[in-house]
Amino acid sequence: MNEFLELFLVEGRELVEQATSDLLMLEADPSDPGRLDSVFRAFHTLKGGAGIVNFPSMSRAMHAAEDILSAVRAGDRRVTQALIGNCLTCLDQVVMWLDTIQDSGDLPAGTEADVDDIVARFTADSVFAHDTKVEAVALASAASALVPTSSIAVLKEQISILAASGDGAEGRLASAGRLAANVLRHLARDNEAEQVERALLQSQTSGGATHLTAAIERAIEQITQPAPSNAVEVPAPQVAPTLRTLRVATERVNDLVNVTGELIVAKNAVGHIAKLASETNNTLAAAIRDEHARLDHLIESLQSAVRAMRVLPLRVVFQRFSRLVREMSESLSKPVRLITEGEETEADKAIVEMLFEPLLHVVRNAMDHGVEPPEQRVAAGKPGLATLSLRARRDGEHVVVECEDDGSGIDVDKIRKVAAERRLVSLDMLSAMSDREVINLIFLPGFSTARDITDVSGRGVGMGAVRTAVERLRGRVLVETRLGKGSMVRFILPFSVMMTRILMVEIGQQIFGIPLDAVVETVCIRREQIHPIGSGHAFVLRNLTIPLIEWVWTLGRGGEQALADATVVVVASGGQLVGLQVDRLAMTMDVMLRPPGGLLSGVPGIAGTAMLGDGSVLLVLNVQDVLQ
Amino acid sequence: MKSYKILVVDDSKLARMAVAKLLEALHPEWTCIEAASAEEALALLTQKEADLVVVDFNMPGRDGLDLASEFRERMPAMPVALISANHQQEIVDRTHAVGAAFLPKPLTKQALEEFLVGAVQRLKAAGA
Repeated sequence: MNEFLELFLVEGRELVEQATSDLLMLEADPSDPGRLDSVFRAFHTLKGGAGIVNFPSMSRAMHAAEDILSAVRAGDRRVTQALIGNCLTCLDQVVMWLDTIQDSGDLPAGTEADVDDIVARFTADSVFAHDTKVEAVALASAASALVPTSSIAVLKEQISILAASGDGAEGRLASAGRLAANVLRHLARDNEAEQVERALLQSQTSGGATHLTAAIERAIEQITQPAPSNAVEVPAPQVAPTLRTLRVATERVNDLVNVTGELIVAKNAVGHIAKLASETNNTLAAAIRDEHARLDHLIESLQSAVRAMRVLPLRVVFQRFSRLVREMSESLSKPVRLITEGEETEADKAIVEMLFEPLLHVVRNAMDHGVEPPEQRVAAGKPGLATLSLRARRDGEHVVVECEDDGSGIDVDKIRKVAAERRLVSLDMLSAMSDREVINLIFLPGFSTARDITDVSGRGVGMGAVRTAVERLRGRVLVETRLGKGSMVRFILPFSVMMTRILMVEIGQQIFGIPLDAVVETVCIRREQIHPIGSGHAFVLRNLTIPLIEWVWTLGRGGEQALADATVVVVASGGQLVGLQVDRLAMTMDVMLRPPGGLLSGVPGIAGTAMLGDGSVLLVLNVQDVLQ
Repeated sequence: MKSYKILVVDDSKLARMAVAKLLEALHPEWTCIEAASAEEALALLTQKEADLVVVDFNMPGRDGLDLASEFRERMPAMPVALISANHQQEIVDRTHAVGAAFLPKPLTKQALEEFLVGAVQRLKAAGA
């Protein structure tokens, strides 16, 4: 891919991210001219970029957005939810194009239809905007100076009209519905207007006025609330300190992390030598010890500095949820506002990146199952507008991330029932479990209490997957809940992460890991090349005689050994080369190595354990020990 | 062949690269320096001095037209061109009004060349 396209991709993604954030803030505060300017410029720069890489379709799409935003800047148009939505959809299309370019290395073909679509949306919106203006004028002249309080009076009037009986119900339905929707649009409450229109359709189909009446009542409630519904609330804008930054490829930082890891191993080796020297009363002992201490100190500093390079603010994850919550709120017809706290809290890149999927699942759960429909909330004396909070804070060596909702909470009895029905836990154990223990059952694989699989969540993947993902990186996840009040999911994550690259191998039908930095090469040797030496075997590789360890013996798992062709992993340790025979080679992967604990701590040959994606535990071998 | 120094101001790195590439094709012996904002451009000029400037109109903070007019005031001997994807007559007129050349985006080799030829003539006439 040429350098222009590469830069186009990088800048394009940055611009989309910036514009998305600005659009959401603009929606919350449509009167902010700086924000509007920023959005306009983002589309303009995207248009320019498309021109440079010769992608006229995208230029055309950006131009359509630019025109609308120009009109808004000139005061000819208002910022409406539909407009924000269209701009966001436009940006979605840009991301899809960028992804295609990234994958194929070339501009996508056949994009004209997509562009026509985008242009059509913007045009349709502008046509409608004109209608609204006209109707609003008519309403104003008809009802002399329409002010919110009189708007509410008009809406309430429609409800009483709908309650009337007698002939002409159909006509009343239609006119009340249309009038209510127009009043709402005039108040710039497009969301409520759309809901009323949908309810009108439902009422017309069902023949009764209930849906429409309920929708109008809901709308009245929402417009009389102090906070606007479906708004994205963000804490008072903080002035971010201007950081001088440098763009560095991730691989380079990872390389640095790897080398630092190896430096630590080397430093430890020197430490051993220092100890040996002092034990053998070597004259150099004191000097070695001093230098080792200094090295130790320096390398610790290096490690911290390198870890700090890989650190990202949690804002990177949180900001993706603004849009998600907004869309889910719409599609579920549940007004929800998102509050974020502590987004500047930092954590290692691996943690921050891992967090998105589990957090997504938790947020979806909260919105789909936790948050009740607005009528239910109001009936329970709760505000119709639900609140979802995402919080992050640093706590010593950990980062704590919480997702809290003020929904209906988890019904512990229901969990007991489902666990019993599905035989996940025996009835005896279940009756002995406290409520707190029962709540943790939601983490069992395959546990899902979704009655119906909505398109938002409920795929049955469940909290089990969330827990596995988090534990892979040495984190923990907990749930707290109060029935009727809401739930909170808390993630406790390590601040920093150091990964080890291992080669997975199969021996005697079990999988083990070998640290890749000990591996010299992997070879396949034919049985003729294996020669007995002493009590063991060896093979020749490029004029070197290398002892062969038939692992199955070492691990005490072998049966009658038949000399056959062998897959061998050649490892180096302390200058010695040794071949380890394995049944099969599998892939390499980066894992979080946990030092062996508990039963494993005394066992030679084990460097530690790592948790795999499926939740199983992998034993990682200590090559040095094995060579003894 | 005299080697001139040209300053390219645009907040988009992609756009700066595009101009630099065109310049490379037209005058490989010239030097090209880049700035991502009005502030950076002014800072660079006080240190390094350029012979001519190409500025993008659409920038956050201070826009290109504003910057161009400051250049024209403080350094009248330095030819300035404003690049913009907005080809509206109003922008073109305002650009000419401050004494800068207008170059439409996407920038073509021909358009840049025209500007450079004129600029070099002016510089030579002034004895640069």
